[in-house]
Amino acid sequence: MKLVLTSDDRLAVLEDGGIVDVSEAFADVRYRSAADRMPRVLAALVDRRQRVEDLARRGQSMPVPGLQAPVPRPPKVIAAFGNYREGSDRERQTQDMFLESPDSVIGPDGTVVLPNHQASIFHHEAELALVIGRRAKDLPADDRALDALAGYTCAIDVSARGLGRVGPSRIGKSFDTFTPLGPAIVTVDEVPDPQDLQVTLAVNGEMRQTYSTADMEYRVVEVLAFISSYMTLVPGDVILCGTNHQGLGAVQDGDRVEMTIERVGTLAVSVSDPLKREWPRGVDQETAARQRAVGTS
Amino acid sequence: MRIVAFDEQRIGIVGNDETVVDITDVLQKYEPLGPEDLLPDLITHFDELKPELERMAAAGGGTSLDGVRLHSPLTRPSKIICLMGNYREGTDRPLQVLDLFFKSPEGISGPGDTVVLPPHQADIFHHEAEVAVVIGREAKDLTAAEAMDAVFGYVAFNDVSARGLGRSGINSFLGKSFDTFAAFGPWIVTKDEIPDPQALSITVDVNGERRQDYSTSDMERPVTELMTYISSMATLHPGDVICCGTNHQGLGSMQDGDAVVTTVSGVGSFTIHVRDEHQRAWQRGVDRETAERVKASAQHPVAAASGGSAS
Repeated sequence: MKLVLTSDDRLAVLEDGGIVDVSEAFADVRYRSAADRMPRVLAALVDRRQRVEDLARRGQSMPVPGLQAPVPRPPKVIAAFGNYREGSDRERQTQDMFLESPDSVIGPDGTVVLPNHQASIFHHEAELALVIGRRAKDLPADDRALDALAGYTCAIDVSARGLGRVGPSRIGKSFDTFTPLGPAIVTVDEVPDPQDLQVTLAVNGEMRQTYSTADMEYRVVEVLAFISSYMTLVPGDVILCGTNHQGLGAVQDGDRVEMTIERVGTLAVSVSDPLKREWPRGVDQETAARQRAVGTS
Repeated sequence: MRIVAFDEQRIGIVGNDETVVDITDVLQKYEPLGPEDLLPDLITHFDELKPELERMAAAGGGTSLDGVRLHSPLTRPSKIICLMGNYREGTDRPLQVLDLFFKSPEGISGPGDTVVLPPHQADIFHHEAEVAVVIGREAKDLTAAEAMDAVFGYVAFNDVSARGLGRSGINSFLGKSFDTFAAFGPWIVTKDEIPDPQALSITVDVNGERRQDYSTSDMERPVTELMTYISSMATLHPGDVICCGTNHQGLGSMQDGDAVVTTVSGVGSFTIHVRDEHQRAWQRGVDRETAERVKASAQHPVAAASGGSAS
C-alpha cells in the first residue's frame, strides 16, 4: 500500500494512475495543524490497515492531485553519515548519525530555496528514507526491526557545503526546504528486500546518481537497531539511510531534480536561488573521488 | 514570571509567595489535544493571559514548592538547537565560525530525574551546563532588532554528552542524543526577569564539589546573534529551545550515584541524578585534559572557514 497526503489534507491510497480517498478511516484522529496530523495517523494505521485497504478497494479512483510530504513535519529527522561502500571494498566505517531540522521538509513538486549563505556548493543527495510507524527503543538488528516501520519513501538530503566548522559541521543540511520527502509512504510488504533497490537521481533530465541499496554499509535493520539504541523512535520519525556520493552534483536556480527508488516511487522538486549563483553542471568528480578515498575513519 | 511543569501533567506559575499556583485549567480554553499542547499554548497566548496570570501569581496561595514534584518545564520541544563551543573560555582568541547541531527532543529529563548512562563504550560522560533560550513565537529571518521580541524566556540546561562515540575526528554529536541526556529546569523564567542574558553566572556542582563556574559575558555569539543566525536557517516555533553552548573549563565526569546541580543565576537551580548499571568509574573533579584541549583549540577562526566535507 502507498499512503499519500494530498495538498488539501486528504489521506489517500496511491494506485496505478490515481488515488482513492481513505480519510474516513482516520476521521476520529484529532489534530491541530496539518503538519502534526501524520504522526497520529501513522500511530493509528497499525490497527486500521484492513479498514484502509477496504476503503481503497471500494472507493472511486481519482486523478492524482497535488501532494504534500507524507510527513510534513516529522517529530525527528535523523540522517546517517556516509553509509555506502561507494564501489570500494573498504571496511565498514564506524556507524554514525545526526539529526536535521524537522522544519526542513517539503513535499513533491515543492521548491528548494537556496539561502543567502556563502556555501561553496549546494549538493543533492538521493536517499532511501524510513518512516517510523510505532514507538520503539532498542530494536534488534534483524527483520523484527522492520515491524517499527510504517514504510519507505524517497528523500533528497539537500546539502550546503562549506558552512559551519570544517569537518564536523552538518549545519548546511538543516535549512528550511532542504529535505524533500515523498511521494508516498510505501508499506514494508511492498518492498521484499530493502537492500536490493535501485536509486537514481537526475537533474534537468541528466542522470547524476545511480546506485543500489545493496552497497549500503549498515543495512536498514542495522540503521534501526543503532539509532534506537540511542533514542526512542516515535511514529512519523524519518530516518535517511545515507547516500552514495558517486554522482553528487550542484543544484542551482531553475533546476528540476527528480529521484526514483524502484518500488518506492519518484519524487521531483524545483530549485530556486534568489541570488542566481552558478556552479559547474554535471557530476562533482572531486567530491566523488574524495569520498572513495574515505574509509579510514 | 516562573512557569513550571509539576505533578501529573500540570502547568503552574510560581506565585509571589513562592507557592506553585496551578494554571492548567486556565489553559483548557485553548482546547489542548494532550498535555504536550499546554506549554506551547501558554507561550503562544502569553500576552493575552498575562494579566490573569499576574493576578494569580500575586494572590499566591498555591502548594509549597516542597510539596510538588517538578518536571522539565519543556515537555517535548519540536527542536532542541545546541551551539557548538560558543565561549572564549578565558582566552582572547578570535571569534570562531558559528556552528550548531540538533539534539534529540525525546526522553527529556527535569528536576529530580535520573540520567541513565547507556551501555555504549564512551570515553567519558560529561556535564555541560548552559543557559537556554525558549522561543516565544513562530519566527524566520529575524533582524537584530526583532530578535529579542521572539524570545519567551530562559531555562537552565545540562547538555549531557557521551564522548568518543561515532566517527573519530568528527566530534560526533549523537553522544548527546541518548534518551534522558537533555536536562531542563527548574522552570522557565520569562524574559522580563532577565534584563541582560549576557550577564548570567552558570555553575555545576557534582556531589557538592564545584565544577563549572562561568559567566555568559564570555559568550562568543550573544543571544541576539544566535536568534538572527538560526532563524535565517530554520523556522522557529513556540517552545523550541536554543541552548547557547557551554564553557568547557570545568567539565567533569558524570557517573553512577552522582547528584549534579545546574544553576543559572536569575533563572534557577535544579538537580539531576545519574545511574549507570555498569558502575563505570572515571576520575572525579574537573577534566583538565578536556579543558586544556578546548582552550588551545582556536581551530575554527572565522577567516579560515572554507571547503567542507560531505556526509
